[in-house]
Amino acid sequence: MEVAFYLSALVAVAATFRVITSTHPVHALLYLIVSLIGVAMVFFALGAPFAGALEIIVYAGAIMVLFVFVVMMLNLGESAVEQERAWLAPTLWRGPAVLAGVLLLVMLVTLVGGDFDGIISGETLTAKMVGITLFGPYMVVVELAAMLLLAALVAASHLGRSDAQGEADLARERQRERAEVTASRNTAPVPEETPLTDGAEQPTGRGGSA
Amino acid sequence: MMPALLAISPLILVCLSVVGVMLSIAWRRNHALNAILSAVGLNAALLALLFGWTLGDVDVTALLVVDDLSRFGGVLVLVSTLACVTLAHHYLEGYEGPRDEFYLLLLSAAAGGLVLVSARHMATLFFGIELLSMPLFGMLAYTFRDRGALESGIKYMVLSAAATAFLLFGMALLYAVTGTLEFAALGDALATYGNDTWLLAGAGMMLVGLSFKLSIVPFHLWTPDVYQGGPGPATTFLATASKVAVFLVLLRLFQSALAFHENWWHDLLGFIALITMLVGNLLALTQTDLKRLLGYSSIAHFGYLLVALVVNEGLATETVGIYLVTYVVTTLGAFGVVTLVSSPYTATGGTADASPLHHYRGLFWRRPYLTAVMTVSLLSLAGIPFTAGFIGKFYIIAVGVEAHRWWLVGGVVLGSAIGLYYYLRVMVTLFLIEPGMQNRDATYDWAARAGGMVVLGVATLVIVLGLYPTPMINWVSWIAS
Repeated sequence: MEVAFYLSALVAVAATFRVITSTHPVHALLYLIVSLIGVAMVFFALGAPFAGALEIIVYAGAIMVLFVFVVMMLNLGESAVEQERAWLAPTLWRGPAVLAGVLLLVMLVTLVGGDFDGIISGETLTAKMVGITLFGPYMVVVELAAMLLLAALVAASHLGRSDAQGEADLARERQRERAEVTASRNTAPVPEETPLTDGAEQPTGRGGSA
Repeated sequence: MMPALLAISPLILVCLSVVGVMLSIAWRRNHALNAILSAVGLNAALLALLFGWTLGDVDVTALLVVDDLSRFGGVLVLVSTLACVTLAHHYLEGYEGPRDEFYLLLLSAAAGGLVLVSARHMATLFFGIELLSMPLFGMLAYTFRDRGALESGIKYMVLSAAATAFLLFGMALLYAVTGTLEFAALGDALATYGNDTWLLAGAGMMLVGLSFKLSIVPFHLWTPDVYQGGPGPATTFLATASKVAVFLVLLRLFQSALAFHENWWHDLLGFIALITMLVGNLLALTQTDLKRLLGYSSIAHFGYLLVALVVNEGLATETVGIYLVTYVVTTLGAFGVVTLVSSPYTATGGTADASPLHHYRGLFWRRPYLTAVMTVSLLSLAGIPFTAGFIGKFYIIAVGVEAHRWWLVGGVVLGSAIGLYYYLRVMVTLFLIEPGMQNRDATYDWAARAGGMVVLGVATLVIVLGLYPTPMINWVSWIAS
């Protein structure tokens, strides 16, 4: 397994290097997928099949496909088909294919030949053991990860807000504010004359003109 | 199980209020309601923390420990977060977009700070730092239609990611050599392994990652830009709660694991402390922007704090505690005034806050009490007697003299002398009259608002702690013992 480990690690490093150096986004993404599969192979070679499988399912699978789709979505229109054809030129996929081929070869040799070379010692980590560790001593960290994901999601949804969406939200909010102001005026006849009210109303006015 | 749950109840309460604010936003966007909800949650957490002090030291699994130091850090983090909530309420009133998410992010970041101050395991160290920084990206870029805020958020995110990579790689190297992630076990292993190259590389990389968060020279380059561009309340949080939490975890890591018995580690850290205070102060000299100036000043202050870490004997822990209290109180005052003058938010497309110094020209003639708060804060930052800052600086110099670290003591003295010049320059600006200058003001009723009251209270505290520091010193020395 030692040769498998080193070969896969080498492939991962080479692919990651090409991710950084290539200027074409789709090209870089293809290499990134190969790199992640290489890392998964490293996990398999080290006796952590669960981590390896997760690496493929979560990263190489879902996220990469998503990325490729996003990149392609950006180029919707007349030229999209031609663009896609240009992306499928052999020069683009030759490199990643060769690297993926090396990984395939390594896997086939290990599957057929078994442990023919140096052995990396250590026990095999199963999904059950990972689960027990995760929900035993590391319980707090799992809960914290949930909070972290919530915070990241909220930050992303706030920053990723498009203008149209923002304006719709704003219109709703303005409507409600106006309703609240009239309601408070109806119940309490005392007008809010502090300059602060001016400050609070100012943005509303500006928003209306925008 | 029960004492452990009680001990981390502040953390649980803060997390619950995050969820509460989220549900409240989903139900109805009401700015005041969400601000009050956050303040109530934070106050409940603070109360739980203070009542939890009777429990003594409690281990919560192998990941967290709730002891006096972590409760002390928790108080500082929660108090500064509360101040940020009150400041944010006034500030965000002028923001046209959704305002409520800010409180959610602020509370999550506070939860991250609470985790950090009780971390005693690499996993909680990492998650605490991420939980602290991830919401900060959103908070710094909250008013993202201003280029300044967006720039500040992106800069902080990219550089923070690089620092996290260093931190993780350092942890991996330490784990590869010692096979443990707990601070205490790591300390034992380090004692047996001695001067292993990989250990030193791992420890160095972790130091790089944490130095970035504390903006210690030479990892300080992001600080002025991020401070300048970010919205006032977010910058206040970054300058107070975030730095306190990271420094306390560095202290714990340093004392329990990376004690660095080798002499040259101490010398290296001493050198870093020296250049941090000198570079921070020298770069602040030519600034014409108040927020940038305060950013450089915070770099210098963490240079002073590193002195206590370098010495790491005698009064060191007590010094760290006292300096952090005085730093937090003073910084809350200074950034509070900046935020109040910039409140309510007005969109400019560039940098929204009143950060150029000429905005503050003649502030005294328009808002005398606010100027008094600013003056007291600046005097305290400069370390003038009768303010809290003097007590902190006194302890730093005392600890340096006691350990015969003359170079560091010289650096502190020189840095304070340089600092006096630029703090006084800001103070002079506050009292100058120059008709026709562009200026901005706090609203007329600033003192009647929660944020204004907090700032006034903080300024009073700065003076009270400067005149009668005994209760604070007793409290901190009890914690340190």
